[in-house]
Amino acid sequence: MSARRVAAITRRLLQQFRRDRRTLALLFVAPIVLLGLLGYLIRGSASVPVVGIANEDQGPAGATIVAALEHSSAISTTTISASDGDSKLKDGSLAAYVVFPSDFSQRAQTGTIAPEMHLEGSQPGTTAPVLQALQEALVTLASQAPGASLRVQPQVSYLYGGPGFDTLDYFGAAFIGLVVFFLVFVVTIVSFLNERSQGTLERLMASPLRRGEIVLGYMLGFSVLALVQSIEVLVFSLAVLKVHNSGNVALIFGIEALMAIAAVNLGIFLSMFARTEFQAVQFIPLVIVPQFLLSGILFSVSSEPKPLQVLSDVLPLTYAVSGLRDVMVKGADLSWGSLQLDVGVVFAFVVVLIVAGTATLRRRIA
Amino acid sequence: MSEQSAVDVENVSRSFGAVKALDGVSLKVRRGEIYGLLGPNGAGKTTLIRMLVGLLEAQTGTVTVLGRRMPDIDVLRHVGYMTQQAALYPGLSVEENVRFFAAINGVEDGVKEAIEMVDLYQRRASEVSTLSGGMRQRCSLACALVHRPQLLLLDEPTVGVDPQLRVQFWEDFRRMAESGTTIIVSSHVMDEAERCQRLGLIQYGKMLAEGTPGEIRDIAGSSNLEDAFLKLAGTGVRA
Repeated sequence: MSARRVAAITRRLLQQFRRDRRTLALLFVAPIVLLGLLGYLIRGSASVPVVGIANEDQGPAGATIVAALEHSSAISTTTISASDGDSKLKDGSLAAYVVFPSDFSQRAQTGTIAPEMHLEGSQPGTTAPVLQALQEALVTLASQAPGASLRVQPQVSYLYGGPGFDTLDYFGAAFIGLVVFFLVFVVTIVSFLNERSQGTLERLMASPLRRGEIVLGYMLGFSVLALVQSIEVLVFSLAVLKVHNSGNVALIFGIEALMAIAAVNLGIFLSMFARTEFQAVQFIPLVIVPQFLLSGILFSVSSEPKPLQVLSDVLPLTYAVSGLRDVMVKGADLSWGSLQLDVGVVFAFVVVLIVAGTATLRRRIA
Repeated sequence: MSEQSAVDVENVSRSFGAVKALDGVSLKVRRGEIYGLLGPNGAGKTTLIRMLVGLLEAQTGTVTVLGRRMPDIDVLRHVGYMTQQAALYPGLSVEENVRFFAAINGVEDGVKEAIEMVDLYQRRASEVSTLSGGMRQRCSLACALVHRPQLLLLDEPTVGVDPQLRVQFWEDFRRMAESGTTIIVSSHVMDEAERCQRLGLIQYGKMLAEGTPGEIRDIAGSSNLEDAFLKLAGTGVRA
C-alpha cells in the first residue's frame, strides 16, 4: 500500500471533476434544488380538503356538529345544498360533503344519529382527514349530550373507489405510466448516445437517410419494445397486484403507449445535449425527479403551492398521470372533457418532441 | 473536363473557433482515379472528407461531388464513406451490419460479395464485438462499399490491418478504380501513397503540393516520398 499511489488516484479524480462543470453542478446544485422543491411542496401547501356541508336539520344537533367541523384544522368547510353535492364532487371542488337530514336532531333524541357522508374517494390522502374530522365532531356532539348514550351510524358513500380503495390503488394508476415512461426514456437516451459515440450516427448522416427517417425509425423500434413493456406492466398491475380499475383497459394501454412514445422522443431529443453516457445519466435526476414530484403522483396538483401548480400545469407527465387516474379510478372514457384534454396534451407533446429531435439531429452531429 | 471530375473542391475554408482546419484548399479528382490525401494528424484530411459527404459545410468556396453541389443528400447514395474509427454496431453480426448499411442506401444484394471481398465470409455470423481491430476495419470497409458507390471515401482505411491484407485491399481498390469507381483515401503511410495515382499533400489546412507520386518527388528533389513530404512540409513535421 503506497500512500503516494493512492493519492495519485484521488488527485486525478478531483482534477477531472474540476473541469467537468456539469457533474459539479449535479453534485452541488441539484440537491439544493430538489430538496428545496420537496420542502416547498410539502410545507408550502396550506390547502386542506374542502368539505361541503348541507345542514337541513331543524334542531340543535346538526348545528353543533357543523360548528365542530368548521372548527377543525384538518379540513375547510363550505356551505352547500345537498342537491349540488354530487356535481361538486365530480368537478373536484369538494373532497367530500356531509348532509344532516331534517330529522337529524329528532333522531339524536332517540339515541341514533346518521349523518350522510359522501366522499369523492379517489385520493386516500384526503379521505382519511375528512373521516377523522367527522369522527371528532361526532365525539363533540356526544360529549354535549349528557347521560344519553348516542349510537353513531354515519352513512358513508363513495363516488369513486370505495372503503377498500387503498394507497396502491391511487398510486398504481400513476405508476403504471411512470414506470414505462422512465425506463423507456433511459434506454432510448443511452442507446441513441451509443450510436453517436461509436461513430455510426456519423455514418448514417453521410448516407441518403433523412433526419426524419432516422428519428421515425428509432421511434418505431423502441415503441415495439415499449409497447410490449406496457402490456406486461399493465397485466401485472391488474392481474397480480389487483390495482383498482373501473375503466377501459384498452384506453389505459392507449395512454401508456402514448407516454412510451413520448419517452422515446424525449430520449432522442435530450441525447443531442449529452456527449457521453455519463452525461446522459445526469439527465435522469434533472428530467425525471421534478416531474415525479410535480406531476401529481405523490401530491395532487391542486394541493401544491400556487407557483408550483403553474409549473405542474406545463409538465406533460401531469396530464398523463391525471388521464390514467381518471380512467382507472373514476372510470373515465373519451367522452370526458378532462380526459380529452389530458390525451390531447400528451399527444401534442409527442409531436413537438419529434419535430425538435429531428431539427437538432444534424446540427449536433459535427 | 469539369463534368469528368468526380470531386471538385474550389478554394474551400473552414474554421473551428480559432483553429483554421482548411484554408483555401482546391482539388479536382477525376472519375476512376485513386487520389491520396496525405498529411500529418490534424492537417485537415478528415475535415475535407467530411465536407465531401456533406457532414460539414464549407464556410467559403464550393464543394462539388459527382456533379452536385454539396451538401446534397441525394448524391450520397452513390458515395461510400469509411470513417477513421470502425463505426459499426457491436451487437450485430458482420452480415447484419453490412446488410443494414446496404439497406439504408437502398440496396439489397451485394452483401455476400462485399463480405467476401474483405475476407470475412468465415466470420459473417460473428458479432462485431468479438472481432479483432483489423477485422472490424475490414467489416467497416465492406459496409462502405456494399452499395457499389461511384465515389469511395476512405479515412485511413488500413490502420490496424496486417500487411498481407493491406496489399489485398489495395489490389481491390485498383480493381474497383479500373471499373470506374473513384477512390479518395487519406493516409499518413507513405508506402500506400506510392499506390495512389495522384496525391495531395495537406498541412495546417493548406494544400502544399499536388501531383503523381513521381511529380511530388521531382518537386521536392527527393528520391522517396517520405523525404519529399518532409522537405515540402518543412522541418519538424511528423509524417
